[in-house]
Amino acid sequence: MNRPGVSRPGVSRPGVSRPGAKRDPVPLGAAAGITVAGGLVLAAMNGSYLGLTVTTGVAYAVVTVGMVLQLGYSRQLAFSQSVFMGVGAYGTGVLETRYGFGSLESLLAVIALAAAASLLIGAVITRAPGLALALATLLLPLFIYQLATDSGWLGSFSGINGVLPFWSGPDYEATLVRSGIVSVLLLGLAAGVVLRVMRSGIGLQLMAMAEDERLGESIGVSLRQRRLEVFVLGSVLAAVGGAVLASTQGLVTPDVLSESAEITLLLMVFVAGRKSVAGAISGAVVIEYLTTSTSFISTNLGIIEGIVLLLILLIEPDGVAGAVDRLLGHRTDQWAASLRAWSAARLQARAHSTPESAERELAAPGHGTRDVEARGGGDGGGS
Amino acid sequence: MSEFLNLLAAGLTSGGIYGIFGACLAVWFRVCNVLNLAVGDFAMLGAVGTAWLTQTAGLPFGAGIAVALAGVGLVAWLFDRVVLHLAFDRGAGAHGIVSVFFYTFGLSLLLEGAARAMFGTDVFGAPAIWPGPALAVADFHVQRAGLLVIALAIVSGLLLWAYLRFTVSGRAASACGESVLGSRIVGIDSAKFRRRIFIVTALLAALFGIVESPITGYTYASGPTLSLIGVVAAGFAAFRQPGRAVAAGLAIGVAEAMLGGYVSTSYSDVLLYAILFCIIIVRPEVLGLGPEPA
Repeated sequence: MNRPGVSRPGVSRPGVSRPGAKRDPVPLGAAAGITVAGGLVLAAMNGSYLGLTVTTGVAYAVVTVGMVLQLGYSRQLAFSQSVFMGVGAYGTGVLETRYGFGSLESLLAVIALAAAASLLIGAVITRAPGLALALATLLLPLFIYQLATDSGWLGSFSGINGVLPFWSGPDYEATLVRSGIVSVLLLGLAAGVVLRVMRSGIGLQLMAMAEDERLGESIGVSLRQRRLEVFVLGSVLAAVGGAVLASTQGLVTPDVLSESAEITLLLMVFVAGRKSVAGAISGAVVIEYLTTSTSFISTNLGIIEGIVLLLILLIEPDGVAGAVDRLLGHRTDQWAASLRAWSAARLQARAHSTPESAERELAAPGHGTRDVEARGGGDGGGS
Repeated sequence: MSEFLNLLAAGLTSGGIYGIFGACLAVWFRVCNVLNLAVGDFAMLGAVGTAWLTQTAGLPFGAGIAVALAGVGLVAWLFDRVVLHLAFDRGAGAHGIVSVFFYTFGLSLLLEGAARAMFGTDVFGAPAIWPGPALAVADFHVQRAGLLVIALAIVSGLLLWAYLRFTVSGRAASACGESVLGSRIVGIDSAKFRRRIFIVTALLAALFGIVESPITGYTYASGPTLSLIGVVAAGFAAFRQPGRAVAAGLAIGVAEAMLGGYVSTSYSDVLLYAILFCIIIVRPEVLGLGPEPA
């Protein structure tokens, strides 16, 4: 008898690449695109205040990308991202200021620490059914925040100062640009990993689980294993985001662990689009910019966040990214319909004409467009 | 012995608040499977609104309470008529796990932001309903407001429990939570029950905020923490049993006070939350929860 999650001989298993199967170019392309585009944007900002805001947004984006997989794609009701962000930020701060670690060493150590901690916590916590998981993870920020503020070793309310940047430069501006480039590289890697998971067989299994756990179980998905993997990946990415935040700002405060940090992360994901990696990235950067750059928004933040969240939930539950996707999808459908109509017309013309007349027809200016319009294949023509 | 009794009284006072928020959450969740994460914000609105109306606007105390409660009721009614009606009766917007948390989370953000804009960041405490010094028997002291909170929590929890268990209306309300379609087929207006119980629990939370605020004081940001503790108390009552939620809230409050008194003042909250966390992850079955809605 087969164990769940183990394929029978001769039966293809989702998530396992077959010999000769073409590698999906999207995750790698997205990772490269984010790194190059983000690096260019930060270089253009040349260490300005805006550059600092965008780099801080990038730190949050690393976390929200993980949340897309956890909350949006797998519908795992875990609210512990701010805690693991704190693990990353405080881990980096403690290792660098107390034990003399370099920034790369501390980043690797923090990833290992977060993986181990989330594996330990997740192994127990993901056993909790449904809302119990949400409840347990809601409690985590409460006592971890208290622990951080009460602990002198963690700097109490002042936190830890003197965290090293990822990549130092000759002056503040150059350091900010260089560290920002490392941050977008980490964001690109995070997005690539999450996209790779989402677009693989494992992603399909997660989607099936999210729709109906019994359905997932019936097709042989190991629910507990998948839940744990998603929890660990989301937590590790949150810790990396925390490390990026600490390195960008040069200090760690207990605010990173607070309920309001978790609320901000949830808003970034839900408003921008909880199922979209691009949405989560742009949401993190844009919301970070809006909350820090204009006094009107920062003063009336609660009202604006509340209204926007309610409108999004009522009008477009998949967030701004969902609305954009739908709009683009509609346009793409129209373009595809036009292309199909044009191709059909061209084939028909070829079939009814001699090779010479077909060549003359194809060479004539505006040929395709006229045909498409004549057959109702233009904008709004439908398929 | 007197130290124990004083700690017990303090614990029961804070536990009464946790318990009643837990009960408000549980009774509404039982009706529509949604967690009211704005329950603490309703308490904050009641307390801060009454304090502002009596101390700044100069209204008499009774009128201040009446206006504050009317305001809370109006906000709850409007939220139901606009947002919940569209989401649950018209089928618009997000459903499943998103609806369990995020509609009322949005309301909580909105109320917190509005309170900050209207009342500023000061600490407010409504005048005491039962003024006077703390009641004392030998070395045992209990504040009058605390005694009111404990008594009201127990009475409210019992009333909510009795309503759901022994009245036809309560059983109809519970049926809505079991199956909206089924309840509609047999002629139960689920929207009406959802709206009524949402408004009643909002008013109850506001009333408790008014009664309790002379002890702790409220700011615009007091709501989310209270809601969160309420969620924990309701969680220990499977999110559906208001009487058990009051008991859980009282137990949490007493545990918090005892840890603060006998173990560590600084780490009492940390220890309490850690213990609750451990209970949930080691023995999740004590919560009596099923799988999450898809």
